[in-house]
Amino acid sequence: MNCKELVYLLGDFFEGSMEEHLRQELAVHIERCEPCMNFLKTYDKTRILCRQIQPEEIPEEVRNRLKAFVLQKAREHHRDIEKYLERAARERREQVADILRAYVANRLSMTMNLLFRTHRDRCDRCGAFLKGLNGGKAIPEIPPDIEDHIAEFLEALPPGESPVIG
Amino acid sequence: MPAERLLDDNVLLEELRKGTPDAVEMLFDRFHSKIYSLAMSILKNESDAEEAAQDVFLTVVRKADTFKGNSALYSWIYRICVNTCLMRLRGKRRGETVSIEDFMPVFTEEGMHASLIDDWSKEVERKALDKELGQVIRRFTENLSEKYRVVFVLSDVEGLSNEETAEILGLTVPAVKSRLHRARLYLREQLSRYLREGKAE
Repeated sequence: MNCKELVYLLGDFFEGSMEEHLRQELAVHIERCEPCMNFLKTYDKTRILCRQIQPEEIPEEVRNRLKAFVLQKAREHHRDIEKYLERAARERREQVADILRAYVANRLSMTMNLLFRTHRDRCDRCGAFLKGLNGGKAIPEIPPDIEDHIAEFLEALPPGESPVIG
Repeated sequence: MPAERLLDDNVLLEELRKGTPDAVEMLFDRFHSKIYSLAMSILKNESDAEEAAQDVFLTVVRKADTFKGNSALYSWIYRICVNTCLMRLRGKRRGETVSIEDFMPVFTEEGMHASLIDDWSKEVERKALDKELGQVIRRFTENLSEKYRVVFVLSDVEGLSNEETAEILGLTVPAVKSRLHRARLYLREQLSRYLREGKAE
């Protein structure tokens, strides 16, 4: 091992990932080479000094300003999400109500009519509720679990189909 | 909810997703010093570092939903911080970087040291915690191009492992090792020159 190779391998040496035979060669070289000994010591010292660099501290004023900004923006962000979720829930509710109105008024498209009634006749979750609607014209309050269930059914329909006539 | 529970990364993330105000505050208190100092190391300018820190927190809050948790929370946040800072740097060109090549050790054709190598390691012992020396080192690192600086800051200043640094920067471990080694060689040489000049004065 010459000086150049030794310097090249110093990173591995201090990391402890150096192969044993190289480590021995390094020890032999360093024993009789003062420049390399000095190089090794100062390289090591450089690493140690860098560990001791104090991180750049954030000035009090900057910290306060930054914190106020972050908390404010996070609030706004979560308000936006809530609004979005509310809007999505409202749209879903309306979509389900539209379908039920069309179902009661016999305004479902042909495909939809077939799918919906087939589903109704086999479904033990919404079947009873839907059959109960058949007589009356007004839609009662839709129970949340039925609403979720029908919304899921609607989401699973093939796209491009307009489910309601007129 | 007891505040200690938020010290658990998974709980903190879960609460962030729900938008719990305490969670945002905990996130801030836990990470702002690191984010700021890392941003300062890369951007070297207070107002840039502040703006970058703003961006980092907003990104974390917005992306808390999509964070998969297959890496540690802090390494995800470091990655966001590094990327945010590098993106900001890209807009500006800074002229003051030195060429690292001018500070690499020189060898003879036979591979022997071609310059005088002093041992100043004992000499700085007394200066180890010296503020001035810290400033000097910081100035030297600031003159490095970011290719080396970012690796160096994460590994040797922040104390992350080579694997963590590699993951954060999207580099291979050998690439991290090699950049780190060169950054140390550069700093060693800068320090040698600085101390030699100090003695001559």
